[in-house]
Amino acid sequence: MSKPVTIIMIEDDEGHARLIERNIRRSGVNNDIIPFTNGTDAINYLFGEDGSGVAHKGEALLILLDLNLPDTTGIEILRRVKQNQHLKCAPVVVLTTTDDSQEIKRCYEFGCNVYITKPVNYESFANAIRQLGLFFSVIQVPPAAA
Amino acid sequence: MSQAIVTPDATRQRAIGQIVLLAAGVLVLVLVSASSVILVNQARKDNAWVVHTVEVENQISTLLLQIRRAESAARGYLLTSDPQFLTEHEYARATILPDVDKLTRLAGDNSVQIENSRQLRAPVEARLAEFAKAIDFVKRNDIPGGIAMLRQPGASDSVQRINEVATAMRTEEDRLFALRTATADHTQLLASVVTVAGSALVIALAGISMVLVRRSARARDQAEMLLRHNNLNLEATVDDRTAELREANNEIQRFAYIVSHDLRSPLVNIMGFTSELEELRHDIFRRIATLSREEVAASALPLVPGAIEPALEGQDKQLSQDFAEALGFIKSSIAKMDRLITAILNLTREGRREFEPVRIDTRELIEGIVATVAHQAAEAQAQIRIEPLPDIVSDRLALEQIFSNLIDNALKYVRPGMPCDIAIRGRTKLGFAIFEIADNGRGIDPKDHMRIFDLFRRAGAQDRPGQGIGLAHVRALVRRLGGTISLQSALNQGSTFTLTLPIAWSASNRNKDT
Repeated sequence: MSKPVTIIMIEDDEGHARLIERNIRRSGVNNDIIPFTNGTDAINYLFGEDGSGVAHKGEALLILLDLNLPDTTGIEILRRVKQNQHLKCAPVVVLTTTDDSQEIKRCYEFGCNVYITKPVNYESFANAIRQLGLFFSVIQVPPAAA
Repeated sequence: MSQAIVTPDATRQRAIGQIVLLAAGVLVLVLVSASSVILVNQARKDNAWVVHTVEVENQISTLLLQIRRAESAARGYLLTSDPQFLTEHEYARATILPDVDKLTRLAGDNSVQIENSRQLRAPVEARLAEFAKAIDFVKRNDIPGGIAMLRQPGASDSVQRINEVATAMRTEEDRLFALRTATADHTQLLASVVTVAGSALVIALAGISMVLVRRSARARDQAEMLLRHNNLNLEATVDDRTAELREANNEIQRFAYIVSHDLRSPLVNIMGFTSELEELRHDIFRRIATLSREEVAASALPLVPGAIEPALEGQDKQLSQDFAEALGFIKSSIAKMDRLITAILNLTREGRREFEPVRIDTRELIEGIVATVAHQAAEAQAQIRIEPLPDIVSDRLALEQIFSNLIDNALKYVRPGMPCDIAIRGRTKLGFAIFEIADNGRGIDPKDHMRIFDLFRRAGAQDRPGQGIGLAHVRALVRRLGGTISLQSALNQGSTFTLTLPIAWSASNRNKDT
C-alpha cells in the first residue's frame, strides 16, 4: 500500500454529506474525504483540465456518488469514470434516494460497484454507512492503472 | 365546412319521393296491363259481333239463293217436266225452312231482327206452298194452270214480301255492321292509345327514377366523401389530443416522481439530524446529571457506569422529557411523511409499469385473494360470496391489486355488530365486463363519493388504519386498464363498487411510451 485511499464524495446535499462523513468516521475510517457539492467541480477534479484524468494516475480513489445533482446527473459522471482508462478501476459507490429498479439496473450496467439507497430511517442509514466504512477498511483499492 | 350537409329531413323526403315514384310506376304498369287485357277482350268481342253480322247477312243471302233455286227449279220443271228439275227443287226446298230457322236463331240477339225473321217465315212458307201447288199442277199435267198459278198476283206478293223483309234485315244488319265495326275500331284505337300512353308514362317514370337515383347516388358519394374526410379529421384530432394527454400525463408522472424524490432528500437530513440531536440529547443530559451530581458532592446515589439514562431530578428531568417528546413528534411526523411520499412514488411507478394482457380466470383470481384475507374475514365474521364471473383479458397484477383493495376495504369498514356479507357479482355488456363488489358495511356518505378516490383522502370515522391510498390506486389502475369505477352507497347502507372493464383489453397506445 503505497498511498492511502482517498474518498471522493460527490453529494449536493450538504446535510447528507455531513451525515455520511460522520458515520464513516464513526466506523473508524480516517481516510481523506474530498467533498464536492456539484457535478462540474467533481468532474474538473477527477479529469483535470485536459479531461484525461491523467493527474490521478496511480492514485487509489473511491468515489461516493449521488445520482441527483443540480448540474449533471450522477449517471453521466459514472459513465465517464468507467470509460476513463486512469479511473475505471476506482470503485464507485452510488448513494442515492432512488430505489427505482430501472435506475439501479442502469447504474450496474454502467459499472457501479455498490448501490445504496438512502433510507429515511436514520438508524438503517447510519448502519449502512458504517457498514460501508467497514467495507472501506477492508477492501483493496487498486492504484489507478497506468 | 361550406358543403351542403345533407340534412336527415331532405334524405327522408328523397326516400319518400322515390317510394312514391316506384309505387306510381308499378300502378301505371298494372293499370296499363289490366286495361290492355280488358280492351283486347273487348276488341275480340266486338270483332265477334262484326263476324256475327256478316254471318247473318250471309245467311240471308243463302236463304234468298235457296228460294231462287227452288223457284227456278220449279219453273224449269213447269216448262220441261223434267224430273231432274223436280229433284233439284225438292233439294232446295228442303234447305229453305232450316235456313229460316238458322237465320232466326242467328238473328236472335236483336229484337228488330227477331221480329223481321218472324215476319220472314210466313211469306217464305206461303211461297213454298205456291211452289208445291204449281208442281202439283204439273203432276196433274196441268202445266198452264201451274204457270198461271205462279203468275197469280198473290204469288208475287209473297216474293215481294220476302224481298222486303230480307232487305229490311240486310239494312238492319248493315246498320249493325257499321255500328259494330265502329265500336271495334274504337276499342282497338283505345287499346293502342292506352298502351302507348301507359308505355310513355312508364318510360317517363323510369326516366325520373333514373335521374333521382343518379342524384341520390351523387349525394351519397358526396356524403361518403364528407364522412371520410371527417373521419380522417377526427382521427387526426383524436391522435393530437391523445398525444397531448399522454404528454400531460407523462409530465404529471415525472413531476410526481421528481417531487416525491426531491422531498425525500431533505427528509433524510431532517431524520438524520434529528437522530443526531437525540444523540446530543443523551450527551447533554448525561453531562447535566454528572455536573449536578458533582455539585451535590456527597451524593447518595453513585453513578452507574454505562447507564443510558442517568438519573435526573426535578426541572432537569422535566426538560429531558420535553426534549424527548418533541423529538418523538418530529420522528413520527417524518415517518408519516415518508410513508406518504413512498405512496406517491409507488403510484407513479405503477403508472409507469408496463401492463401485460393475459387471459384471466376471474373466479380463480378472486378466490386467491379471498384466501389471503381469510384471517381478516374470520375476524370480521365475514361471508364472501363469489357469484359467476366473466373471464377477461387484462393485466393480472393490476386486477389482483384492484380486487384485493376493494375486498380489503369491504372487510375493513364493517358495520359494528353486524356480520359482514360481501358479494362479488359479474356480467357482461357490449364488450365490457361489469363487476360489482357489494358489502353491507358502514357505507359512505354521498358527499364523499368523489373524494374517496382522491389520494390521501378518506371518509367517515377515522378509526381504521390507512393512508387514503387504496382507492386512488384502484382508480388509477382501472383507468389504465381502459375501464371505469363507480360507487353506490349511503351511510349505514353498505357500499357497492361497480367496476367496468373491457373484456379483451389489449396493451393499447396507453402503454406505448411509458
